[in-house]
Order: sequence, then C-alpha cells, then structure tokens
Amino acid sequence: MESLKDTLAWLLWLWICAVVLGAFYYAPLAIGFIGQSSRILFFHVPMAWTAFVAFIAAGVSSLRYLFGGRDARHDRAAAAAVELGLVFGVLATISGALWARIMWGAYWNWDPRQTSIVIALVFYGAYLALRDAIDDGERRARLAAAYAVLGLVVTPFFFFVLPRITYSLHPESVVNTRFKVDMEPRMLQVLLAGSAGFTALFFWMLNLRSRLQARQEIAERRELERG
Amino acid sequence: MATLRFADVRRRFGRLAVLTGVSGAAGEGEALLVTGRNGSGKSTLLRCLAGLLAPDSGTIEYSEAERPLDAAGRRRRVGLVAPELALYGELTVEENLDFFARLRGVEGGRGRELLARLDLPAGRLAANLSSGMRQRLRWAWALLHRPRLLLLDEPFQNLDAAGARAVRELLAEHLGTAPEAARRGLAVIANPIPLDIDGVAARLDLDR
Amino acid sequence: MVSRRVSTWTAEAAAVFAKEWRCELRTRYALNTLALFTFTTLVVVSMSLGPIGISLAQGSGVLPVLLWLILLFASAAGLPRAFVHEEETQTATALRLAATPSALFCGKLAYGLTLVAALEALLTPLYLAAMSLAIASPTLLVAALAAGGYGLAAGSTLVAAIIAQARGKGTLFAVLSFPVFLPLLLLAVELTGKAVAGQPGGGVTLVQLVLYDASVTVASLMLFPAVWNP
Repeated sequence: MESLKDTLAWLLWLWICAVVLGAFYYAPLAIGFIGQSSRILFFHVPMAWTAFVAFIAAGVSSLRYLFGGRDARHDRAAAAAVELGLVFGVLATISGALWARIMWGAYWNWDPRQTSIVIALVFYGAYLALRDAIDDGERRARLAAAYAVLGLVVTPFFFFVLPRITYSLHPESVVNTRFKVDMEPRMLQVLLAGSAGFTALFFWMLNLRSRLQARQEIAERRELERG
Repeated sequence: MATLRFADVRRRFGRLAVLTGVSGAAGEGEALLVTGRNGSGKSTLLRCLAGLLAPDSGTIEYSEAERPLDAAGRRRRVGLVAPELALYGELTVEENLDFFARLRGVEGGRGRELLARLDLPAGRLAANLSSGMRQRLRWAWALLHRPRLLLLDEPFQNLDAAGARAVRELLAEHLGTAPEAARRGLAVIANPIPLDIDGVAARLDLDR
Repeated sequence: MVSRRVSTWTAEAAAVFAKEWRCELRTRYALNTLALFTFTTLVVVSMSLGPIGISLAQGSGVLPVLLWLILLFASAAGLPRAFVHEEETQTATALRLAATPSALFCGKLAYGLTLVAALEALLTPLYLAAMSLAIASPTLLVAALAAGGYGLAAGSTLVAAIIAQARGKGTLFAVLSFPVFLPLLLLAVELTGKAVAGQPGGGVTLVQLVLYDASVTVASLMLFPAVWNP
C-alpha cells in the first residue's frame, strides 16, 4: 500500500512538471494578451478552481462530522481543507492581481470573480479565527463545523448578487451556450491538465495534513498518559 | 425500573486528563456517592452524566421503564443541583420557577409547592438572594419536573440547618427511603468529603 | 399525541420570548444600546449628508447603503447578547437541561425579530425625515426592511449562539457574521435603492432576499441543536 501511495505521489509530481512545461512551451499565447502574460492563466485558473474545491470539501466534511457520527477525522479534514483553501486562494488572488496589473493597469477592481475569491478568503479567515477562539476539542469541532455549513448555505447567494456588478474585466467565459469550448485546443489541454493536477495536489496535501494532525494528537495523548 | 450505569468514562480538557476511566452504577432507591479532592473530576463526571458534556470515551447508560435514554433524553429527564447552575437574576424567585415550569410543561402549583417546602421568598429578585437561599432555589428548580435521576454536586453547600433539613427530607422522599414515597428515584451525589445520607448504596472515590 | 407536543412546543417558545422581553424591559440594556446607536449615527449622517450637505442625486445612491450599515452595526451591538448573556451569567446550563432546542431557538429568534423591527420603526422615519428623502415605492421599502431585517435577526441568532461559547465574543461576532451577511446586505441595499428611486426589477430582488431568509432559517434550525448541545 505504501509503495502505491509513493508511486501516485511521483506520478503527481511528474504531472505537475508536465503542466508547468506545457504552460510555457506547449500551449500557444492567447490572442489579445500582452506578451507572455497569458501564461499566468495556467496557474491562476487551476488555483482559483482548487480554492473553490477546498470550500466544498470543508463544507462536506463538516456535514459529515455533524450528522455522520462526530468522527474526529472529518473535523481534521475540514480544518485542513480550509487551511489549504486559504493557501490556494491567496495564491490565486495574487496571481490574478498581477495579471490584472499587466493587462489593465490596475491590481484590483472588484469584478465578480475577484470579489468571489476574496469572500471565500474572508470565510476561511473567519472559520480559522473561530477555531482559534475555542479551547475544548469537542466544542471546537462542533461549532466550526456548524459555521462551515452555514457558510456553504449562504454562498450560492453570492451568485445572485455578484453578477450585478456588470462591468467585468474578466475574459469572456470560454464556454458559450452550446457548451462548445471557444479556446485553442492546446491551451485548453494545459488548462484542464493543470486544474486536474492542482486538485489532485490539494487532496494529497489534505490527506497528509489530516494524518499529520491525527499523529500529533496521538502523540499528545501518549505524553499525557505518561506524565 | 430505572437504572444508571457508566463505564470507563474519560474526559480531557486540552492537556489535562480530568477523568481517566471512571465506572459506577446506581439503581432505584440508591444513591452513588462520589468523593474526591478539588479538581478530581467530580463536577466533570456529573456534567457528563447530565448530558452537558460529551465524554471522550466510555459509555453512559441510563434507562427509565426499560427505555434507554440518550444524552438528549438525559438532559431533559435529570434534576441537577450544582454550584455553577444559575437562574435569572432579573426575575423573581416565583417568575424563575414559573418560566421553567412552562418550559418543562409542569403545572404551576408544583413551583409554589416547592417554594413553600424550601421556604423561599417568592417575590424577591433572584439576584438579591443570599447564597443559602440561592442553593434552596437550585433544589426547587431541580425538583420541579419530578425527575427520576438526581445529580447533586455539593448539595448542602451554603445551607443553614433548616435548609439542610428540608433538603434531606426531599432527598429521602426522592430515593423512596421515606415511608410514604410513591416510587423510588436514583441519585448521584458528588461532594469533596463523605456525606452521611440514608440510601447510599455505593461509593466512588476519584482520588485513587 | 402530536397536537399535545405541538402545543407544548409553542408554549415553550412563547415562554422563552416572554422571558427575554421581561428581562430586557427590566434592564433595558439592548433597547438603550440600540437607541443610543441610532441617535448618534443619525446625527452624524444627517449633519454631513443631509439636504444641505449633499445633492439629492448623489444622496439617493449613498443613502440606502448608510441605512443598512446602521442597521447592521446596531444589530451587532444589540442582538448577540441574547446568547452571550446566558453563557456569561451561567444561566445557559439551566436552559440546556430544561428547553427543547428548536423551541428555544424560535423564542430567541422572535425576540431578535421584534428588536430589529423596533429598531427599524425608530430609525427609518427619522432617517427619511433627516435626509428629506421622498420614497417612490413605500410598500417596496417596507418589504425591503422586513425581509432584510428578518435576515439580520436570523443570522445574528445562530452566529450569537456560536460565538457565545468561544472567547473574544465581540470581535468574533463581527468576524463571523460579516461574510454571512454580505449577500443579505447587498440585496437589501439594492432593493431599498429601487424602492427609493422607483426603479423596476424590485420583485426579483425581493424574491432572492426571501430565499436567503428561508435558507438561513432552515439551516439555523438544523444546526442549532448541534451548536447548543454536545
């Protein structure tokens, strides 16, 4: 089992390397973008997508914790998902801001997608602040999970609200109404490969972080019993 | 038939292991006396039994009339007397009991009956009660809904001789050791030092 | 025995509601806080942005936002006490043992709703008078205040129950409630703006606002037992 995990980890490493190389050498430049700046797309979009996946993962884990037996594993997974979501979200925000600066001269303009990633970050921060403010493990898990589910319930309403900001600088959505993708095939390949790679990376890191947290708790408990 | 049984109950608070595998039982008409020095986990155990705190591991089984009750069931069914239990200072004694009677679906006369038994001033604001009166009010609150299981944490704290006498009578009636008792309840009593009470069937000392 | 369970449930919720108001009327804590808050913000806003300070065209864009900001901060100042006070005075233990969680939540929610309604009833006429603001569609404004106010009360009740059991309650309430309230505020501001200016499309916004309220209510009812008890 361990060698299977190691093999998969190596495969993931290779995949990500292929994505990076593909972003710079395989995919063509996009029309209408300044210089090489469209390369940012292949990192920014997957990371933003992964931050979104993290949000859902945290919400699902929280639901499983609350209504599926209060298993501490789900609580650890939710907390880890939020921490990782924060990392990916911050990276996505920074890469997006850099790109915005290159393309349109402004780091920030509150267009719907920039705004939505910031809101996700605010939720993550609030969740982690809540966890930090509770000392007892059982109570912390319970209350954090409840807040995560509340967040999950509220976020669809951002979809109603954000498009009100009609002036969007984000490139036209690449999927039009007939679900035909309007993008150079090679760009699309790298983009999808990147999204898959980053998502796999997220779940791998999630697994590692959860197991690390579990080991730490066992170690603490052993220390307590000894002393 | 009501029975309480708990086995290997453990509870940690952060780095501090307060309960390290505690077991005990009580049957009808019996009181389990839990003793131990300050910080030995008596209050924590009672909170776990009351369903206010989830133990880290171990089992707590309580059933009334052969029906087992989970933590939510225990919460509604127990009567708790504990130092950290407070009632509303902005309300009078009578208003407090009236409110909780409404919550529990208990008839209004029950509150007045307990007020009289424990000699409590009905119209005084709970915030203006002496510590002894406050303890009597806790007893009245705990017995309002005629619970089958009484959990008593330092039950005689701050009581004067009259208060202690009234409370002993109530406990005896609850356990059914008094002759005119209708049915017999159970109790778990926690106190830093041993108490002399009729009906104590077992002792659990948390200072091992 | 369903009807008996229902009648005791409503009796419980009503008892909680009555208790909240009885205690509140004796201490006047929340009412004083809300009144003071309303008065100070109204004076500041009126002096700087009243009919003398700003043109009507500029004003009507800004004024719905300010109204909802005042309501938001006043609610944050006055509503969380419903749960924080219970934990701080240790009356929460008695409630945990005696009350059915859903009835308790509804009683507290009803209390929050009446507080917000009182706040809106006090603030809105004064606000409109101070700004000399004419409302194109008063019914839509009332609907906006009702739906938006409900959302504030419902969200505040659950978040208050959460933070009451944590440290740093004041700032933590603000931190946790901000992302939850953001869609509510944006929708309410938009709807209020449309009510003031008489623009079309208010119906759709109102429906979205009501959907938000319904979602938060259902979620809160499902989550509250887990928040309140271990």
